[in-house]
Amino acid sequence: MILSADFTFSQSNLQDYRDCPYRFYLRYVLHTRWPALVVEDALKFEQRGQSGARFHRLVQQWLLGVPEDRLHALVTGDPDPDLGQWWENFLEAIPPLLDGERFVETTLATNLAGHRALAKYDLVLVQPDGRLIIYDWKTSQKKPRQDWLEDRVQTRLYQFILACSGGVLTNRAMVTPDQIEMRYWFAPNRTAPITLTYNTDRFEQDRDYFTDLINEITDKPADSFFRTADEALCRFCVYRAHCDRGTLGGDLEDLEDSDRQPEGFEDLLDFDQISEIEF
Amino acid sequence: MVFEYNCIMALTPEQTHLLDISHHAKVFLQGSAGTGKTTGGTLWLKKLIQSGIPAHEILIFVPQRTLAAPYDRCLQDEPGLAQSLVTTMTLGGLARRMVELFWPVVSPASGVAFPDQPPQFLTLETAQYYMAHIVLPLIEKEGFFASLTINRNRIYSQILDNLNKAAIVGFPIDEIGPRLKSAWVGELDQLNVYDDVQECVNRFRSYCLSHNLLDFSLQVELFQKHLWSSPLCRNYLTRSYRHLIADNVEEDTPISHTILQEWLPDFDSALVIFDEDAGYRFFLGADVESGLALRKTCDEQVKFSTQLVNSPEVQALRTGLQSTIAHLSGNTSTSTIPDFKAVTTALGTPAENPRFFPVMIHWVADQVRQLIDSGASPGEIVILAPFMSDVLRFSLANQLDTLEIPYHSHRPSRPLRDEPTTQTLLTLASATFPEWRLFPKRINLAFALMQAIDGLDLVRAQLLTAYAYEEQTREFPLKPFEAVPSEVRDRITYQAGERYDRLRDWLAEKTPEDSQNLDFFLNRLFGEVLSQPGYGFNNDLNSANIAAVLIESIQKFRWAMDTPAGNNDLSISKEYIQMVMEGVIAAQYIQSWQQDHQDSVFLAPAYTFLIRNQAVDYQFWLDIGSPSWYQRLDQPLTQPYVLSPQWQPSQTWNAEDELAAAHETLSRLSLGLLNRCRKKVFLGPSDMDVSGYENRGLLLRVFQHVLLEARRRSR
Repeated sequence: MILSADFTFSQSNLQDYRDCPYRFYLRYVLHTRWPALVVEDALKFEQRGQSGARFHRLVQQWLLGVPEDRLHALVTGDPDPDLGQWWENFLEAIPPLLDGERFVETTLATNLAGHRALAKYDLVLVQPDGRLIIYDWKTSQKKPRQDWLEDRVQTRLYQFILACSGGVLTNRAMVTPDQIEMRYWFAPNRTAPITLTYNTDRFEQDRDYFTDLINEITDKPADSFFRTADEALCRFCVYRAHCDRGTLGGDLEDLEDSDRQPEGFEDLLDFDQISEIEF
Repeated sequence: MVFEYNCIMALTPEQTHLLDISHHAKVFLQGSAGTGKTTGGTLWLKKLIQSGIPAHEILIFVPQRTLAAPYDRCLQDEPGLAQSLVTTMTLGGLARRMVELFWPVVSPASGVAFPDQPPQFLTLETAQYYMAHIVLPLIEKEGFFASLTINRNRIYSQILDNLNKAAIVGFPIDEIGPRLKSAWVGELDQLNVYDDVQECVNRFRSYCLSHNLLDFSLQVELFQKHLWSSPLCRNYLTRSYRHLIADNVEEDTPISHTILQEWLPDFDSALVIFDEDAGYRFFLGADVESGLALRKTCDEQVKFSTQLVNSPEVQALRTGLQSTIAHLSGNTSTSTIPDFKAVTTALGTPAENPRFFPVMIHWVADQVRQLIDSGASPGEIVILAPFMSDVLRFSLANQLDTLEIPYHSHRPSRPLRDEPTTQTLLTLASATFPEWRLFPKRINLAFALMQAIDGLDLVRAQLLTAYAYEEQTREFPLKPFEAVPSEVRDRITYQAGERYDRLRDWLAEKTPEDSQNLDFFLNRLFGEVLSQPGYGFNNDLNSANIAAVLIESIQKFRWAMDTPAGNNDLSISKEYIQMVMEGVIAAQYIQSWQQDHQDSVFLAPAYTFLIRNQAVDYQFWLDIGSPSWYQRLDQPLTQPYVLSPQWQPSQTWNAEDELAAAHETLSRLSLGLLNRCRKKVFLGPSDMDVSGYENRGLLLRVFQHVLLEARRRSR
C-alpha cells in the first residue's frame, strides 16, 4: 500500500482521485506541490476566495452569537461590495430555518475500509423533530443543477458520515439516513437552499461506493495512477504543465461551471497554523 | 502486577491505578520522564472515548503542537475509535483562534485604529519584517544599539522575544526596559541598550495598533485581557470542551497556567500531566512553578515513579550525576555513590581523549557503525550537541556517509532563501524589473541562467551574461542572443541561445501587475517557461516544491502588507526580495522536511531532542567539554530570568546568579537526556573545540568526578 496507514480521506482528496488519479498521486502520495495559477485572472480569483472565506467567518460568528450590529459594522467596512449583499441575503433567508441545536464548523469522522474519513461541516442542525440538516454555504455566482449536486463527492460523503457518526451530536440517539438532509445555500441568490434528502438505499450505495473507491486507491500500485482522459479537467489543475497539458490557467468564469472551488484561502479559517513558539 | 489493556499494551501498576480513577475526576499526574505518563495520557484519552464521550468535547492542551503527536497517533491507529475529532491546542493557537472568531467583540477595546476592519495576524516572519521596518531606520539614522556588534536579525528577534515574554508572563510591555535595567550591574552602556529596546517595543506596538496588525504578543494580550473574561467567548469554550488533557504543563507559560487554573473547574474531567526535573522551554517562558501549582486545582494527585526507560546501569549513572551536580551547587544529596561497573557499562568513552574535533567525529561515527553492526537499530541512536552548527553537522554527515550509516538531521542543510531554485527565481525577477533597482550581479544572473536553461553550464552562462546583460540600467537589461558576438554564440551553442531568447522574450512581456504581484509572476514564469522542455526545472518535482513554498511565502507577505492603513509607499515585491537578501524572511525550511525519517540516526541539538520527548537506546553527547552545555546564550537585548515571573523587582542579576543558573541548566539538561536513554551514553570529548579553543567545561568535570567517586567506592 503506497498510502500510510494513518492517511485520512476527505471530500477534497477523493474528488481529486475521481477527477484524476495522477493528481491524487502527485498531491497525496508524493506530496508534490506545483506552482501554477489556477486561472489567468489570478487576482480576481484570489479576491473571490478571500471574500468567500470572510463570508463563512461572518456566518460562523453570527451562529456563535456575536452581536449583529458588530457584524454589520464589519460588513460595511468590507472591501468587497458583494459581501454586503450576501450578508443581507443570508439574514433574510437563513435564520428562520435554524430551529434546533447548532453544531458550527464541526468535523465528524468514520472508519471506511480501514481508514479514517472526515467531513467538515459549515453547520449541522439537530432539529427538535430529530432531523439532522447539513448546511453548506456557497458564494459562487452560478447555482448548479440539483442532480449535479447530488452526485458530488462532498454531498455523498457528508451525508454518509453524518449517518454513521451523527450519534455524537444527538447524545447517542440513533441516526438513520432518512433523518438527514443536506442544504446548499448560494449566498448571491435570494432563493431558498437546494435541499437534498437521504435514505437507506443511498446510504448503502454510498457505503459500497466509498469502500470500493478507497480499496481501489490503497491497492493501486504506484505506476497505475494514470492521468485523466478528460483533458477539460486539466484546465484548472495546477499540475497541467508537469503533465504537458497546457501552461496557461483556465478562465475564471468557466471555473464556476466546474467542480473546483478556490483553494488556499482556508488559512483565513485555519486558526492553528501559527503562534506556538518554536523551541 | 502487570495486566493487558485492550489486548495491546501491558500496563504498569501505576498506569492501571490511573485508569481505575473515574473519568469524571480531575487528576494531576506527575513523575520523571520515562515513567509512562504520556502513555497513561493516551490511554486516558481512549478511556474517555470508549466511555461514550464524543471526541470533539475533548481538548488536548500542550505547550508545543509536536507534543500532541502521541495523542494524534493513538486515535489514528484505531480509525474506528472516534466519530469526531479531539482538538489539539497551544496557548498561541487558542489566542489566535479566539481573537479571530470574536474579533468584532474584542476590536473596540483592542486599541487598533480600525476596529471595524479585520486584523492581520502576523507570523514570526512577517513580525520580523515589520520590526525591521521600524528598527532599521533607528539603527541607521539615530544610532540605536550603537554599542552592540550583533547581527541585525538577532536584534529584531530579541525585541520580539521581549514582547512575547511580557505577554506570556503577564506584565505590561512598558516594564520591559525598566526590568532589564534594574537588574543590570555591568557596563553603563548597556542601560542605553535597554532604553533603545523599550523605545523599539513602544514603536512596534504603536505601529501594529495603527495598522491592525496582531503579532503573537498582541494576540495573547487581547485574548487574556478581553476575551477570556468575555461571557460569549468563555461560554463558547466551556460548551465546546468538556474534558481536558493538558500534557507537559511544566513546559508551558505562566499565562497558560493562569488560564488552565481558572478553566479547570468548568471541565467535567481533566488530566494534567507534569514532568518533574524538566522545564526545558524556560528560555521561551516556560514556568515550572506555576505549572506545578495546577496540582491544587485537581481532585486527585497521582505520582508515577517506576522508571520504564533506563537500564539499571543508566539509572546508576543518573544517580551519580545528580549527586555530583547537587554537590557542585552546594546542596547535599542523599543519593548513594553508584557502582563503578554499572557506571562504566552505561558510559562509552574513547580510550584516549581526542585532542582535536575531527578525531572525535571519527570516533563517534565508528562507534555508531559498530552499534549498528552488532544489531542496534539506527533509529535508536541519537547524536547530540549543545548546538548543532553547520560545520559540525557537515563533518558528522560526511563521516556517516562514508560509513554508510543512515541519518537525518533536525533540519535540512539550507533554508529556503539559500536554495538554488529560490535564488534563480528571485534573481530573474530582479533582472526583469529594473525599476526596483535591485540589479543582480552578473555572476548571480549567470548562476540563475545556468539553473534555468537546460544545457547551459556556468562558463557559458558567464559568457552569455558578459554580452547580453547590462548591469545597473533602468531599462530592461537583457539583450537578445543576437547581440552576443558570433564567435561567442558558437561557444554558448545556438540551442542554449534559442532557449535564452524564449526566456528573455517572456520576461520582456512583463506587465505592471507582475511587478506588484511577484507570486503570480513567479507562478507563471515557472509554469509557462522554466518547467517546460529545454529548461532547468522540467520534470523536477523537488524544484517545484521549493518554488511553491517560496511563492506561498511571498503570497503571505503580500497579504500581511494589505492593511487598512495601507502601505502605498512600498513596492511589496521589492520589499520581499530585500528582506530575503537581508535574511529577515524566507529563513524557514521546506515543509517536506517535517516528514518522518524512518530508522535512521538522528543528529540534533540536545534541547531539540529533549522536546521531542522520545527515548532511545543510545545517545552520543558531543563536545562535552564545551561550556555551551550550561551557559546562557549571549542575548544582549533580553534576559529570560529577569523577565520571568519569579523575578523580584528589587533584585540584581550578578555572577552568583549566573553560576547558579548554569548549574541548574546543567542538571536539567543532563538528567533530562539520561531519562530518555535506555542503554548507554557515549561521551564525545575533544581537548580542543571546533574553533581550536581548549575545552574543559563543567560537564566534562562532572563525569570525571562521577567516575572517580565510583572507582573509589569499588576499592
